[in-house]
Amino acid sequence: MSGQLERCEREWHELEGEFQELQETHRIYKQKLEELNALQTSCSSSINKQKTRLKDLKLTLQRYKRHASREEAELVQQMGANIKERQNVFFDMEAYLPKKNGLYLNLVLGNVNVTLLSNQAKFAYKDEYEKFKLYLTIILLLGAVACRFFLHYRVTDEVFNFLLVWYYCTLTIRESILISNGSRIKGWWVSHHYVSTFLSGVMLTWPNGLIYQKFRNQFLAFSIFQSCVQFLQYYYQRGCLYRLRALGERNHLDLTVEGFQSWMWRGLTFLLPFLFCGHFWQLYNAVTLFELSSHEECREWQVFVLALTFLVLFLGNFLTTLKVVHTKLQQNRSKAKKP
Amino acid sequence: MHPPPPGPLGDCLRDWEELQQDFHGIQETHRLYRLKLEELTKLQNSCTSSITRQKKRLQELALVLRKCKPSLPSEAEEAARELENQIKERQGLFFDMEAYLPKKNGLYLSLVLGNVNVTLLSKQAKFAYKDEYEKFKLYLTIILILISFTCRFLLNSRVTDAAFNFLLVWYYCTLTIRESILINNGSRIKGWWVFHHYVSTFLSGVMLTWPDGLMYQKFRNQFLSFSMYQSFVQFLQYYYQSGCLYRLRALGERHTMDLTVEGFQSWMWRGLTFLLPFLFFGHFWQLFNALTLFNLARDPECKEWQVLMCGFPFLLLFLGNFFTTLRVVHQKFHNQLHGSKKE
Repeated sequence: MSGQLERCEREWHELEGEFQELQETHRIYKQKLEELNALQTSCSSSINKQKTRLKDLKLTLQRYKRHASREEAELVQQMGANIKERQNVFFDMEAYLPKKNGLYLNLVLGNVNVTLLSNQAKFAYKDEYEKFKLYLTIILLLGAVACRFFLHYRVTDEVFNFLLVWYYCTLTIRESILISNGSRIKGWWVSHHYVSTFLSGVMLTWPNGLIYQKFRNQFLAFSIFQSCVQFLQYYYQRGCLYRLRALGERNHLDLTVEGFQSWMWRGLTFLLPFLFCGHFWQLYNAVTLFELSSHEECREWQVFVLALTFLVLFLGNFLTTLKVVHTKLQQNRSKAKKP
Repeated sequence: MHPPPPGPLGDCLRDWEELQQDFHGIQETHRLYRLKLEELTKLQNSCTSSITRQKKRLQELALVLRKCKPSLPSEAEEAARELENQIKERQGLFFDMEAYLPKKNGLYLSLVLGNVNVTLLSKQAKFAYKDEYEKFKLYLTIILILISFTCRFLLNSRVTDAAFNFLLVWYYCTLTIRESILINNGSRIKGWWVFHHYVSTFLSGVMLTWPDGLMYQKFRNQFLSFSMYQSFVQFLQYYYQSGCLYRLRALGERHTMDLTVEGFQSWMWRGLTFLLPFLFFGHFWQLFNALTLFNLARDPECKEWQVLMCGFPFLLLFLGNFFTTLRVVHQKFHNQLHGSKKE
């Protein structure tokens, strides 16, 4: 039986050797890590210095531009373009450097570094985000259908609303992380998720009652429709972005969004009517809720707050989409004029 | 190149030239940085895979050792015990090494953040993050005391209550997230004190959805007083614990990543015993809340499912807190008994 112990001891010695090696690698690793940290700090600080100087320079040029002669004006314009290009280069460089978190991430995570430092990691994270949205949309669709047609309890509604709150919360967190990794996502499509989080949070606290029952079915039907549209959106946008990326026309970290963006004119125009229908449904929800809030039996503050939130969502979505359409039409007209 | 025109435009051009020169330097540094980063990633991967492999083999070894131990002659037993100790020590070393390597997130962090790396790679960064967590808890506790006081004595509307509850949900949520990040960074925090925040999150979530009504009004004041008391005790806890931990860290007796907790831990016997009565009082208040809620649930006018669903988490909180604290006290007495026997 002591033979077994000997075998164990032999094994231990083998491991000992490997462990020495590992310790050495780890030592080198920690040393390199420190070097890297030093490089990081020096890079970040010099980029920051240059950025402030560039900004100053831009301001001076802008002020000078007004009383410049014609050939000087050309020079000024040239320099303006150079500065802009330089700023873009800095943006790309910063994507590989750790940076301070914004207010929201600071509130939720604290000051932990969320910058992914390699291209693969960034892309994998983006991909995971897209998949997460797609799967959750399917789950939400099923949940909404179940609540609308099969289950008529406040508890299941509550679970569905809770899922919505969690979904939008984690979307806002993930988007903030993506932004700090260099994704360019436009203002409204980010703030829109904050508004949605607030909306589902208020829905969650709405107590059961006559007014709730009057609005419940409409809300669930709306949720079903919205999930369907979002499913279509993510599915088609993913394909389209993939193609555009392969052609080198879009950035690697571009995201699918809930709305309509300029690159979607290339093959995704069929989504527009669905989107507009969804926007007007939001308006309709707001109007219904305003009416309900003037109902004599309505005592809940949630009704009015929800109405306002739906109105904000409608206005934001509708105007942003309209702006994209408007820009496109203008471009078409100027193109038609040229030839 | 033309000579730069005089006047402000010339100044601008000169400025630009200067910037251009600096820029080349930055580009070079950045290129070097990216190269080093790649090297580092490779080293990271090799370290991680080597550690995983060795850990697995160690575990197998420990298993074999434990199996053959009973049938060993007495002189070999000593050697076996020696080997076992060495294995345990090695596992501790691996734990320390892993604190500097990025790792996969656990289920909770994956659900909330996705697979972003949250391991802080330097000691200062880890410590700064821990420090920020402690400060965050302290400040938020003060804010919670003020708001629960306002809700209890000054404002009596369901909207402000909802805002208070929402703040609680958010507070506990972000605590669970931050704690998972800290654990990922090598903090050792015991099971119940982590789990306890998940239960609290659930509890405040249910409280948030509880509609206004007779039942709510019957429980409201008790809950707000309890919140006030709890925040007060937690304030005391964080305040004294961080001082105590600071001292113990300076003496080298505690790990740098040790955290303050809501309960009582063994190191707190050294100067923080006066907190125990406050803690026990809070635990029994939780039990009292649970009992009140169970009573309310039997009321014929009670239609809300929230009443029962709040009662159970309160009971769970009481049981968890009480027994964990009791175990620490029991262990202490046990140790003292042994100590006095030895003398």
